[in-house]
Amino acid sequence: MKLRERMTGESLALVGLVLLLAFLPGLATTFFVNFVMTQTLILGLAASTIVFLAKYGGMTSLAQLLMFGIAGFMFGNAALDGGARGLKLGWDPWVAVGFAILVTTLVAFVLGAIASRTTGIYFLMLTLVYGVIGYFMFAQIVEISGPGGITNIQRPELLGPPVRLYYAGLVLSVLAYAGFRVLGRTAFGLALQGVRDDPVRMASLGFNVPLHRALAFSLAGFVAGFAGLLSVWWNGQVDPASISIGPTLILLIIAVIGGLSSLEGAWLGAFVYVLVLTYLRDLPLIDRIGITEARFNTVIGVIVLAIMVLSPEGLTGIVRRLRGRTRGGDTADAAPEPVPAPGGSLPVHTTQKELGGTRP
Amino acid sequence: MSRLKRQKALALFTSAALLVVAGCSGSGDDRAGLPADQQTSAGTRSGSTSGDGIRLGILGECEGPFGGFHEDVVAGTTLALARFAGATPSSKTSALEGFSGAEVAGTQIELVGIGCGDDTADRIVQEVRRLVEQLGANVIIGPLSGDEGIAVAEYAKANPELTVLAGISGSQEHTLQVRAPNHFRFYGDGAIWNAGLGDLLHNKERWDTVAVIADDYSFGHTSAAGFIADFCGVGGKVTHRVFPPLGTTDYSSYIAQLPNPDEVDGYFWAVGGTGTQAALEAFINGKGDLTGDQHAGNLFFNPDLAQALGTGIVGAYVGGFATLPPDVRSPEITEYLAAADATWETIPGSLSGNEPAAPSVAAAFGFFYGYYTAGVALVKALEAVGGDISDLDAFHKAIAGLTLDLPYGDIKLDENRSGIVDVGLSRLVQDGSGKVTQETVAIIPGVDQTFGGTFSPDTPSPGRDFPACEERELPWEGKAIPVTDGVPQK
Repeated sequence: MKLRERMTGESLALVGLVLLLAFLPGLATTFFVNFVMTQTLILGLAASTIVFLAKYGGMTSLAQLLMFGIAGFMFGNAALDGGARGLKLGWDPWVAVGFAILVTTLVAFVLGAIASRTTGIYFLMLTLVYGVIGYFMFAQIVEISGPGGITNIQRPELLGPPVRLYYAGLVLSVLAYAGFRVLGRTAFGLALQGVRDDPVRMASLGFNVPLHRALAFSLAGFVAGFAGLLSVWWNGQVDPASISIGPTLILLIIAVIGGLSSLEGAWLGAFVYVLVLTYLRDLPLIDRIGITEARFNTVIGVIVLAIMVLSPEGLTGIVRRLRGRTRGGDTADAAPEPVPAPGGSLPVHTTQKELGGTRP
Repeated sequence: MSRLKRQKALALFTSAALLVVAGCSGSGDDRAGLPADQQTSAGTRSGSTSGDGIRLGILGECEGPFGGFHEDVVAGTTLALARFAGATPSSKTSALEGFSGAEVAGTQIELVGIGCGDDTADRIVQEVRRLVEQLGANVIIGPLSGDEGIAVAEYAKANPELTVLAGISGSQEHTLQVRAPNHFRFYGDGAIWNAGLGDLLHNKERWDTVAVIADDYSFGHTSAAGFIADFCGVGGKVTHRVFPPLGTTDYSSYIAQLPNPDEVDGYFWAVGGTGTQAALEAFINGKGDLTGDQHAGNLFFNPDLAQALGTGIVGAYVGGFATLPPDVRSPEITEYLAAADATWETIPGSLSGNEPAAPSVAAAFGFFYGYYTAGVALVKALEAVGGDISDLDAFHKAIAGLTLDLPYGDIKLDENRSGIVDVGLSRLVQDGSGKVTQETVAIIPGVDQTFGGTFSPDTPSPGRDFPACEERELPWEGKAIPVTDGVPQK
């Protein structure tokens, strides 16, 4: 029964959405595909790593954009063979891809291992410190960051036409989404959720709690690294400002807009963010009410505030509540079942819900 | 099906519906074009929207350290089109409202959008893509700042069907290294603007040692590079180089890295935007009062500093910029400023604190003027090709071959399509009423980007360590044209 429900409900919706996205280049304008949707997939992929860590590990990370940036800088240094910036190693682009992902994952493991003994607000602050240190490191060590960033970064020939970058984003997004979902049901994923809910009990059962957290952080860094690669191929450049505190918070905001407890919310949040960034200023008479492009961050702030007030579970949570009301006002039953992250205030699903009422 | 599953399905369908609606309602042409694309241009290319005339996008900055200049730069281009292409601004009190009616040799110039940068390359790339790929711009004027200029030049290189006339971005790299054939700069770079300043300080003011403090980004590096090449070229020594990040608010730790006033003959400042005053205040707190005879700076050193910090700064030397201080007047300059005042009633430019003021206040400053020169270049190039942009190579060749007769001096382009310009050096002085003003002291004519052979496409981009402090011959050493009471003595 459960499998049938999945096949007829969520899975079908997902397959339909992916099919729609696969055929989108034939349905929408080039700009919408290559700018709006490619950017959505890149930011969604990066934000999904925040959601993964929060949802399955109870860890809200502000270091994911740093991982994103490390991959970009490493690729730029390794792949460029001329110009005035970076190490100019001139490696084959695919070797550079492997190098960038390897370095990013290793850095994520080291940082994850250090952070693995903290939870909640302390984890959040520590990862914020990672982000700030990372920014200043790239800003100061100009040999690997430019100086002033690395420009003229070309993507591998295989991804030549812009639409292929869109498809690369789509494939990686599907893989990341499915991978995170599947992982949540593996022994490692179940143990990770156990660590999230009751680390003391898990430790007493013999689980290595810090190692589970460090491995989850590494996996998130690995995926964020791919998002970083897509970003430098899309932007053509990366500079320290790309990973400064502003964009770091934007990535968290994207995850919060979508909902920190649902993976699909990462892409939904990114879609809303890019839509607002791209089209808000084009609305008729929008400037007459004081909303200009210079007020974009204010508008995003108001949207986040409104969403947090209406639903701490983000847009996906709002959809759930609306759905609950249309089914007879039984909102209590339809409401999500958040519990506070250990030591923190951001909600995540309970282990019981993910495990169907069982415990590992 | 469980309720939760149905809800998730609904969420997915909702996002899909949003996606379709947004996608189908998008506008713009179907040309591809990403910064990382290298498209080849074989044979004669044509403007992507030829037949539609010029679809102009202006790249300004509405956020970040230079966000206060957004109105100024859009007004600069608008004034050029108002003077020479019959444009009528849509508002008498703001250039950001756009214009209509611009036409040259039968070709209409339509403003399709104004981009909003924040001084970062990421943001300006997104803005230029929005203007080109969504709104269909085929000519871009801008951007304002150094790193932005490099990013937009790279974008131009990857999109040869586009024409970019740089706004006032002062980094060296975007013309000397990137060298996109469809990218043009009708003003000098940050290094050019300091040509002759080191010569003046070393040989006239007898400075032998200097500490340099500059913003840690491409324009700060370029500005410092020009001063260092000039000062060291004539025999001076740069003892310290300090580079605080752009946007720093607390400069105390960077001031601490500078030598004390009794350890050097002077300081050169290339800290700009919102940082200039903050950095000088930190200097006063850390090193003592400012004394004008021990300080020099680039374009961000101006009389406003005296209002904020006191008249101790009087006597400081200032590198050049795109315009000249108000003591130099010519019929062309007077006519240009009068035209600005006739085009709008007021403009809320940065020099008036973004409060309404006479448009000539903004027009006299280089940010406005750089975008003005780009607008004039666009008009003159269209006139040269009879309004026909169907042959893009011919259009670009016409732009590259222009010599513009401009209010603050003629400008022509070098082989990398960067401006060869006259540089006006100045000094902060007190007038009879005690008010601090800027007075021109010398003009260095015809400075190009190679800086007397110091820089080339093969040299590194200006940075924290480049150029080295080396003595070398500079063509203008000892040959500056003195200016007395606003009149060049030659």
